[in-house]
Amino acid sequence: MSNAAVTISGMNKYYGSFHALKNINLTVQKGERIVICGPSGSGKSTLIRCINKLEEHQQGSINVLGTELDDNVGNIDQIRREVGMVFQHFNLFPHLTVLENCTLSPMLARKMPQDEAENMAMTYLERVRIPEQAEKFPGELSGGQQQRVAIARALCMKPEVLLFDEPTSALDPEMISEVLEVMVSLAKDGMTMLCVTHEMGFARQVADRVIFMDQGEIVEQAAPEEFFGAPKNERTQNFLNQILSH
Amino acid sequence: MTDQIAVFIPPHSNIAQRLRKRFFSSAMNSVITIIVGLFLAWAVWNVFNWAILNAVWASPDGTSKVCHGIEGACWAVIDVRWRLIIFGLFPFEEQWRSTFACIVIVMVAIMSCVPFFWKPMRLGPLWVVGFAIFYTLMAGGVFGLSYVGPADWGGLTLTVFVYAAGVLIGMPTAIALALLRRSELPVIAKTTGAIIDAVRSLPLVSILFTAALILPFVLPGFLVGDKIWRVIIGFALFFAAYQAEIIRSGIQALPSGQEEAAKALGLTYWQRINRIILPQAFRNALPPTINQFVITFKETSLIVIIGFFEVLASGNAAFGSGEWSHAWVEVYCFVAMIYFVFVFSLSRYGAYLERHLRVGQH
Ligand SMILES: Nc1ncnc2c1ncn2[C@@H]1O[C@H](COP(=O)(O)OP(=O)(O)O)[C@@H](O)[C@H]1O
Ligand SMILES: [Mg+2]
Repeated sequence: MSNAAVTISGMNKYYGSFHALKNINLTVQKGERIVICGPSGSGKSTLIRCINKLEEHQQGSINVLGTELDDNVGNIDQIRREVGMVFQHFNLFPHLTVLENCTLSPMLARKMPQDEAENMAMTYLERVRIPEQAEKFPGELSGGQQQRVAIARALCMKPEVLLFDEPTSALDPEMISEVLEVMVSLAKDGMTMLCVTHEMGFARQVADRVIFMDQGEIVEQAAPEEFFGAPKNERTQNFLNQILSH
Repeated sequence: MTDQIAVFIPPHSNIAQRLRKRFFSSAMNSVITIIVGLFLAWAVWNVFNWAILNAVWASPDGTSKVCHGIEGACWAVIDVRWRLIIFGLFPFEEQWRSTFACIVIVMVAIMSCVPFFWKPMRLGPLWVVGFAIFYTLMAGGVFGLSYVGPADWGGLTLTVFVYAAGVLIGMPTAIALALLRRSELPVIAKTTGAIIDAVRSLPLVSILFTAALILPFVLPGFLVGDKIWRVIIGFALFFAAYQAEIIRSGIQALPSGQEEAAKALGLTYWQRINRIILPQAFRNALPPTINQFVITFKETSLIVIIGFFEVLASGNAAFGSGEWSHAWVEVYCFVAMIYFVFVFSLSRYGAYLERHLRVGQH
């Protein structure tokens, strides 16, 4: 039994005739924390959305927690239950309360009894430090609070892997840190994480590996000290110069 | 700028001040207010005179003699003929059955409006029981009730029945059509689209005509069934084609992130549809949905074309025979009032729902 959570090899993804991901090879071990960065349109979202099959790849293989994501994957829902995802725009369900957002999937997909699901949801809402908002609707919360609910909602499924797609880039600056704090604490607890983010402080603090993508390719990957200290590729250097000069 | 000052009404001003600001803010406004006011007063007085003061309310001997030479409304026609309007040709001694059947359907409809019943496991049995009671009462043939075939049903009870059955069969059909039209398989999506567009491009009358008169020649005998059911199914199909597009528009208004988030949580297709997509789609599409319900209620009057004696047709019959032919305005007022009660309740309920469902949206 290998210890890999996600193994991607020789993977290509096309949108129609547009070659969005080119020959991607990536292995993520259990407990590993990966930060993915790169310019807009480089394929970062596409890459992590392929991992829970929100997008389909055309060539190569993706193996998630021991299951191959090919056309034969009988029950993609089964895999998605083990792979949580946090979106840039939160995507909370506006017609459900915060608590219902968190308990819906455990009750439906895991057949958990309501009281048990609610207790667990409250535990995670405390963990992201908004238990007092449980009865409110998402529309009544600030962006930072909504994103923390979205993280709690994903955690309620007790996923093996957590994917983040620019979780802080739709937030007002003063709310970014409250979300990052939660993510840091998850990382410290050993959660397997793939985060698309441009928060380089976060990358330095928790990442085991930083991956730089450009034009659908993985251009460079390295441990954070090496990645920020001595980037090898010119495109990486340019990118880092641009975002770090701000 | 001056206009805005003139229209601005301080919150604590008294009624006289408000009236002056609203209606008498300038010489021109005052003149218009007075003219319109006089006209309204004249119109209201005339209607009041006709409908109340000079009206004849009853006909003790059941003939139209009481109405000869009167100035006002001849409500006696309603007094004498209301049973025909409400029950159509349903046998006179059995009309209590029609009354209870109508009440049952209306009660079930009102109960379905309460959020408590908004679960398939509650709504389904409620309507099955409702229709079973209705059908037993109306058709009889059991429990010592004499048999009354659907051809003899009529009036308001028939209207309510055709409407309720049509909408109830039509709504799940509409949901199915809307979902099939979104199918990822082009064959299914295109076929469904073609069916919806075909039904929408036909007049309702032609669909009812086909269902009532042409289908019996085409279908194998065991599928023909009673005319009333063929008509209801034609009616339901017509409703479904329009409602499907309304639901689809509600679904399309959802951000794609909603379905993605539901997928990412591992919810199955039906869980996503039932818990995430449809509840939100119905909220988005509530105003056109209520609209469709209202239009459909009024369209029930078309089933008279294929020989059903619904409430408008029995109204026509109520003044149609020579004796009461002068009283058609009164009969139409009465029928209009019945329609108004139903349609106005529907639209008020729609407004309530909109307020109720908005809680929790931004
Ligand atoms: N659904 C789609 N259809 C067609 N092209 C797409 C779609 N989604 C993304 N793309 C294209 O694929 C490329 C990568 O997109 P994306 O993965 O969103 O980039 P990133 O997240 O790094 O900004 C972009 O050029 C984008 O225009
Ligand atoms: Mg992106």
